[in-house]
Parts: sequence; structure tokens; C-alpha cells
Amino acid sequence: MTKKSAARIKKPIRRVLIANRGEIAVRVIRACRELGIETVQAYSEADAGSLAVTLADSSVCIGPARSAESYLNAAFLVSAALGRNVDAVHPGYGFLSENAEFAQMCERVGLIFVGPRADVIRSMGDKSMARKLAQEAGVQATPGSEGNVSGVEEAQAVADKIGYPVILKASAGGGGRGMRIVSDPGDLRDAFQEAAREAKGAFGDDSIYVEKYLTRIRHIEIQVLADDANVLHFGERDCSIQRRNQKLVEESPSPALSDELRAKFGAAALRLCKHVGYTSAGTIEFILDQDSGQFYFMEMNTRIQVEHPVTEMVTGVDLVKSQFRIAAGEPLGITQDQISMNGHAIECRINAEDFENGFAPCPGLITHYRSPGGPGVRVDSHLFSGYTVPPYYDSLLAKLICWGRTREEALARMQRALGELVIDGVKTTTEFHQLLLRHEQFQSGQFNTRYVEDMLLS
Amino acid sequence: MSECKLSYAELLQIVKVFEASSEFSELHLKYGDAEVDLRKHGAAPASVPLGRKAPEKADAASSAPASPPESAIAFPPGAWVVKSPMVGIFYCAPEPGATPFVKVGQRTAADTTVCIIEVMKLMNSIQAGSSGAVTHVLVKDGEAVEFGQALVVIDPNA
Repeated sequence: MTKKSAARIKKPIRRVLIANRGEIAVRVIRACRELGIETVQAYSEADAGSLAVTLADSSVCIGPARSAESYLNAAFLVSAALGRNVDAVHPGYGFLSENAEFAQMCERVGLIFVGPRADVIRSMGDKSMARKLAQEAGVQATPGSEGNVSGVEEAQAVADKIGYPVILKASAGGGGRGMRIVSDPGDLRDAFQEAAREAKGAFGDDSIYVEKYLTRIRHIEIQVLADDANVLHFGERDCSIQRRNQKLVEESPSPALSDELRAKFGAAALRLCKHVGYTSAGTIEFILDQDSGQFYFMEMNTRIQVEHPVTEMVTGVDLVKSQFRIAAGEPLGITQDQISMNGHAIECRINAEDFENGFAPCPGLITHYRSPGGPGVRVDSHLFSGYTVPPYYDSLLAKLICWGRTREEALARMQRALGELVIDGVKTTTEFHQLLLRHEQFQSGQFNTRYVEDMLLS
Repeated sequence: MSECKLSYAELLQIVKVFEASSEFSELHLKYGDAEVDLRKHGAAPASVPLGRKAPEKADAASSAPASPPESAIAFPPGAWVVKSPMVGIFYCAPEPGATPFVKVGQRTAADTTVCIIEVMKLMNSIQAGSSGAVTHVLVKDGEAVEFGQALVVIDPNA
């Protein structure tokens, strides 16, 4: 036991406000139930009939449907938390989960924010600052600008140096939004101005940084957990199955990683976390350039992620319970060599979207819902028969996660589970996943981030 | 969701009770896949908030509208309910120990301040929204309230 852990302050969490909705709210409630933590579900008027409100010990209406007046309103959420005398707030993913001001507001009024410290969220949330910190930690970032570019002239200079195609990214963005790909130098000026304008509108900040745009890449991310003394990694998730920078399917382990490469990724993730003093759960996203075999740091997500169950299935860790334990000042209690990856897990995100019609969102009434089951099948969902999917929020309906001793078994189970899944009343992407899983190239495990758009959907 | 069926006889009973009552002008009832909407002739739509909970939580055995506990209190017909526009702390007076903004029986104008809702140290004055007389103050001073919660009831016809 180190000196630091001997001085660790324990802050028992007895009651928590869940500052999120949908399936992740249900996930957090489940973790709290198992930990004996009382749950208060914050909800907007549109979510009054939601599963999370039904399952929680109590609930508090924080505002109307509009996110800006509910789930994105830090003052309302903190006000609700104080009014209900909770000890902690869990921000879920999306919404305010990576909003440093929200984390700071919680800290200031004595609420435990279940996540990293506000200052760490702030520095890693600035995507170009995060690249700099990675470089400082000896983790190579994608070739690109050093921080934000001062304007289109600097962008041009960087692009000339690293070579086209390049991608312009919003520094205050993330999650695949606020990006522009430029293949022709003649297009850079216009693309830059568009990107800056879009960034200003979407994130309130028009800062742009430039990266080399690599196309034959895989998206490999490393899951970490850290307390105030130690950092651990729980292996990778391969999230190369994407459409328009939105993940559709994730799996672990990655078919593209050898044990040696995995160890390098893990070591890089740990170096970065130690350098920035990271705590709680987090994910470091890398791109693996299949042509050169090099990998580069892309960004870090300082929150629990949608696809966290994939890692839970192969390592046996409960990441959300771990977040609560860390937030309560408890040590991680295990060492890196006690973590092992067992078998193979794959997750399909089932969305209320019409995949035959540009993946257009299809909110509405779920007339009948039947979830699959059986060995190696996990379903994380907020659906029930008779539930109306509101039009105000994202289209995620359910996460279907299947585990097998081998990738083949996991895929076979996923095909079975997709066949059992029934969601009537709205269009869903279930059939898209069935097509994907039958595709030979997907089954081979040999694909990159362009696969879905170039091979499957074209 | 369990099977909830309303028999015709039960429905008639509900209608009879509603008709006989002088205290209610409007009834909304959702029970299973049956939806009943009754309004007395000439009555203005009430602004009584219906239950904030999911419909399946409604106690369908009762003949009262599914609603939070405070509607067990009889509001006058056409009652105007001042609902909290934000989640925060209710204060009945401008300062601790000062005279409350309103009390039962007091007359209000539409722009009369009836309470303060504090959100993170920011004080928000809440107006009556209707002239009339205060019939109920439903919340205690310093109590935490949620968005849409009924605070004060005004009888516009008084």
C-alpha cells in the first residue's frame, strides 16, 4: 500500500442523481442497485413514462422535452441534485458527461461527480490540447498541426507539410462531429471557413486543428480505469464498423491486433493517463494505419462509453460499479496482471432508423418488444412494449452484446440473437446488422473504417 | 405491461360519479388501452396537472383523474394552478422571516408575485398568471420542487 492510498479519503455514496436518460440511465440504476446506492432519476417531461423513471427509487422532473432546458441544463440538474440531497451525480454519456463546467459546478456545491476531475475533463475535452498532452506523454498523435491553427494560411502550411488528403477538425468537437475532409488543396480555404462556421454553431468555438486523413485505418480504443494512485487498462475494442463517424458495431479483441501490438497500445494508454492524472473510467481512441502498421492517438473520451459492455463481457469487470467505487474513494483493488481477456464479444447498436432510407430517424410507439436471451447474450435497453420513443433525443433503442469462446461463436450467437429480437412499431437497423453479419468480409475480420460506406452500403 | 380492462359497467359508474360531482369539470382517464375523456358542458379546460408518472402507474380503481397527491384536495371549478417553471427550492416570502407573498384568501392580479423559485442561488420570481383569489398554497417554504409541480392554486372566479 502506497502512502497515497493510506491517505485516501473515503466518501460514501448513499444516493445518486442520474443525469441522463435512455439505456444508460437503466445501466447506471442497475449498478446502483447492486451497490446498495439509492437512485434518483432526473427526467424531462418527454421521459415521464420511461423505464429509468419506473426502475429508479425516485425521480425528479427537471424540465420540458428540449435538451437545452433539461438534460443539457447544468443549473437545473445540480438544483435537482441538491433538492434531493444526493451525494453524487452520474452524468452517463453524451449530454453533460464531458462538460467541465458541469463537473466543476458539482464539485463546488459538494456533490461527487462520477467521472474524472473537471480540470482533466477540460484539458482532454479540448481535442487539440489532448493531442499535445499525448505527444508530451510519448504517445504519437496523428500527423497534423501542433494545436489549433491560427487561420486558413496556417492550415494550408500544415496540409502542404503532411500531405493531402487532410481532415479539418473542431477542437471543441468530438464524437465524430464537426469535421471536413479535404483532398484537393484548392478546396481547403472554403472547407476551412465552413468547418469553422459549423464548429462555432455546434460547439460555440470555431477553433480548428488539422490532421492527416488516413483511410485504410482501423479504430482501436483502449478502456482504462484509474483511481488516484493507479491506472489499469482492460484491452481494446475495435470500432472500425462505422458510418459517417458513428459507430455501429464494436468488438473485442480486435481481429487486427497481435498480443505484442496490444501491449503497445495498452502501454501508450497508461502513459497518457498517468501524464494527465486521469481518474475514473475513460477510453483512449487510436487509429491503426494498416498500411504502415503505425498507430496514432486520436482523442480521449473522459466518460463511460456506449460500447462499454463489450469490455465487460471479455474481462468480467463491471465498469459502472467501478466508477462508483472510484468516486467513493475506494482503491481499484486489482493489478494489471490480474486482468485477462477471455473469449470474444461483439456489440450491435440497434437504432430507430430506416437504414434503407439514409438511416433516417424513426421515433414512435413500440407496439411489441421481445428481447433475445440464452447463453452469451446480453441486452442493454430501455425498451418495453408500449413505450413511445420520443423524437427529441438520440435513436439508440438497444445494445445487443454477444459473447463466445471464439469470434465465430460470438458471431453465430449474434445472428441467433438478432433473429430473436422483435421491435415492432418503428423501423430499426436490426436487418442491417443481419446483412452485415452475413457479409463475408465482415466475417473475415479484415475491414477498415471505410468498409461499411464503401463496401456494404454503396 | 399487464392486461387492464375496463368493463362497460365500470365505465358507466365512472361517468355517473363524475356527473354527480360538482367539484370536477373535467376527467381524463387512461386505463390499459382504454382512454376516457369527459368534460362538463360549459366548463373551461382545467389547468390541473395530470400525473407526471407513466400512465401505467395510475390507480385505475379510483374514479379521480390520475394525478399527484395534491389533487385529492378539491380545487374549485376552472381553478388556475401556478406550476413551477423550473426545478429548485420554493420560497413563500422575499426573505427569510418576511411576510409571505400570498396567503389563502388573498386576491391576486395576473402579475402578482406568488413565490420565488431558487435555482443554484439564482432567485426567480413567479407570477400568479391569473387574477382571482388564492385557494391553496401547496408547498412549504424551503421545500424542493420539480419542473411542473403545482405550487399555488387561484380561483379566477372569486
